Amino acid sequence: MRPDPQKLLQWIKPNKPTEKELECLKLLQPGDYEIYTEKLNNFLLESKEVFLKLGVSSMLRSGDLVTGIYAPSGEMVAAWCGTYLHAVIGQLPIKYVAETWLKDPTVGCKDGDIFYCSDPLYGGIHNCDQIVVMPVFNEGELIAWTNAAVHQPETGACEPGGMPLTAKTRHDEGMLLSPIKIGENFRLREDLVEMCVNLMSRAPRMQAIDMRARLSAADRLRSRLVALAKEKGNDFVKGLFRRIIIEAEEGTRRRIREWNDGTYRAVTFMDIVGEKHRLVRNFLTLKKEGDTLTWDFTGTSPETDSPQHCMPHGLAANVAIHLMSYSFADLPVSAGIFGPMDWKVPEGCMFNPHFEAAQSNSAPSCHGAMTLGTICMSKLMFDSPQRELVAAAIGNTGVGVLISGVNQWGVPVADFLAFGLNTEGHGARSDMDGVDAFGFSHCPSGRAPDVEDIENEFQFLNLVAKLSRDSGGFGKFRGGSGTETIYAVNYVDYALYNSHVKGSKIRNCLGLFGGYPPPTLPGIEVKHTNLWEKMKRGDKDIPTGAVQLITERAIKGDYEISSIFKKVHVMENGDMWVVFSGGGGGYGDALERDPRAVIEDLKKQAISPWTAENVYRVVYDPKTLDLDEEETIAFRRKEREDRISRSLTWDEFQKEWSKLRPPEEVLEYYGSWPDGKKTREIIRM
Amino acid sequence: MGTKRQITEYLDIDLEKELWCCNRCGRELISARENYKKGCRVYVRKDLTTIYGSALKGPFTFAPDPEWAMLVEFYCPGCGVMVENEMLPPGHPVTYDIELDIDELKKKYLKAEKK
Ligand SMILES: [Zn+2]
Repeated sequence: MRPDPQKLLQWIKPNKPTEKELECLKLLQPGDYEIYTEKLNNFLLESKEVFLKLGVSSMLRSGDLVTGIYAPSGEMVAAWCGTYLHAVIGQLPIKYVAETWLKDPTVGCKDGDIFYCSDPLYGGIHNCDQIVVMPVFNEGELIAWTNAAVHQPETGACEPGGMPLTAKTRHDEGMLLSPIKIGENFRLREDLVEMCVNLMSRAPRMQAIDMRARLSAADRLRSRLVALAKEKGNDFVKGLFRRIIIEAEEGTRRRIREWNDGTYRAVTFMDIVGEKHRLVRNFLTLKKEGDTLTWDFTGTSPETDSPQHCMPHGLAANVAIHLMSYSFADLPVSAGIFGPMDWKVPEGCMFNPHFEAAQSNSAPSCHGAMTLGTICMSKLMFDSPQRELVAAAIGNTGVGVLISGVNQWGVPVADFLAFGLNTEGHGARSDMDGVDAFGFSHCPSGRAPDVEDIENEFQFLNLVAKLSRDSGGFGKFRGGSGTETIYAVNYVDYALYNSHVKGSKIRNCLGLFGGYPPPTLPGIEVKHTNLWEKMKRGDKDIPTGAVQLITERAIKGDYEISSIFKKVHVMENGDMWVVFSGGGGGYGDALERDPRAVIEDLKKQAISPWTAENVYRVVYDPKTLDLDEEETIAFRRKEREDRISRSLTWDEFQKEWSKLRPPEEVLEYYGSWPDGKKTREIIRM
Repeated sequence: MGTKRQITEYLDIDLEKELWCCNRCGRELISARENYKKGCRVYVRKDLTTIYGSALKGPFTFAPDPEWAMLVEFYCPGCGVMVENEMLPPGHPVTYDIELDIDELKKKYLKAEKK
């Protein structure tokens, strides 16, 4: 039977070591832990490369994927990250298979078996994320599991692209596989592969190829582990695995113990529910006591009839991206990190909905929570030896923009435009600016695909792909810039386009310690253009940026500025659209930014002259960009004085502020105002 | 530094006096057992084009929708440094973001100081 959400959440944590494992620890000689941990990491790196080279869909090719090694119990031992969230939840289907199918006479598990799954109710993230799992046997003994996971950009749902905004229940979301045995004797069963490919009739080629890519990666890893066990013995492998988990847990506890006891809170808001712009709240109370952390999401808005939900285990895995890439980045990526952590996610909130709820948009629905994790951890770590890891939030827009239809080669496709996805801005840090276009919010190592490569694969021209001016949050240290891309439908008569990008009304990315959040992201489309004519003529005024496109209007056509969030719609040949990836949050007071850094920002067009003057309050010669230090000091002093004179005392502020409230329509799905409690029942058909 | 401990970029806690203080000018803000924001000057930035510019006109721009969001800025009353800000829907309560266990903190650092 399907595991309940609390059980799945508990499965993220490590088990107690068995007597046998404790005994096996003694087989490790001095130096073995260091040597063989590194060896496992090399196995992972190799399997990742195999995966990357064999697959075809755009996130796979961007490296937004994971390969992982798990103990026979299912506990995470090591992973190539990649997508940290998939490493964490990779444990759950394995634990399910181990608990349910291992001894079932109709299923069982033997050497060469291949399991496959995608259903979040069995431990996945959302319908799109397909995971292959292989048991690793040596001399008849189960010594490990390996997996390989990546987002599949088509699921056979009610809209192209696997993440339908119109989904009301899980029954609108296409293929949802509980863990099944999809192959035996190291081979996929072609009847079951055909079933999956048939369900993905919008993009069958991608499904057929990527399934094999997953399997090849997991099997390469499996064969390396078998070789290791043959060389060192099964018990040595058991000891090594347990030692890795113990090291991670002890390291995590040691670090947490050093931090200041207290309660840290943060709130952020998302502006999409289903197909509408509506406000919902994410709230985190992070309690640090002794060597433990408790993550409490009470105060988060209730579930809705939209697909913007996530299961508690998925929420924890998404928040863990920060833990594994910042706070505990130097410790093994293993289950041990979760030993000292507990999670409270109230039933009925958007992070713990009824099992019938649609949740295909679970990953983007967690971006607010990811911001909250980063902000609370940064406030916790500032007064600690980990101050250098303090940062504002990553862009966290999750640039999910999808194109579908038939490409220029006559092949049906449905896939992400993964450039924006993999070029969000990093949060500014306590000692440096955020990295520009650093990667993907779920996968710091993700890389934007090559533009010519994707132009060859898809039916569009990529006119512009560059860092976006004024896109990082302003502050003493600037949030990393996001990017802007301009596309035009090419080769074919039409393509379908939709966008799950949030942040046209309010961003869910936050600055830190007075650093500003990054700007909102408008949606820009130009239809019935004369782009091809202009290109043929070799016109010199073809725009090289989004603001230029919209302000100069050198291209003729019907211009529309609306939300960046778009329902699936038809774009005709020559129609253009802009995609923004979000910049990161700023750190500290903008008036404390080194004026020379502001001039540098101007030179590389990271900011506009307007921002230099009005936000950073820097005085310079607009022709030579020479800084006037004295005037800048005076200009900034004046602004500080103005701040004090225009502001209110707390009591005066409260009196005015408490009278305000957003319009009722905006609060349709928010829950009770302002605390986000459930106000109605959701009836799902 | 004496008995002060830097807790954020702009805030210290004076452990003996149990007070939040500005890290830049030393101004004493409020009891360390309270939300430090109550000891700050507060400014509600309703027109967000004053930060995000007005390159685009209309309902969708680079600035949040004013019906959805305002920036609440917290300044040190002594030197005017921006201690923190919050992007909030109009009227949404301000967050009590850092609630330290002051007794634990005193135990941890005052004891170490005396040694
Ligand atoms: Zn001050």
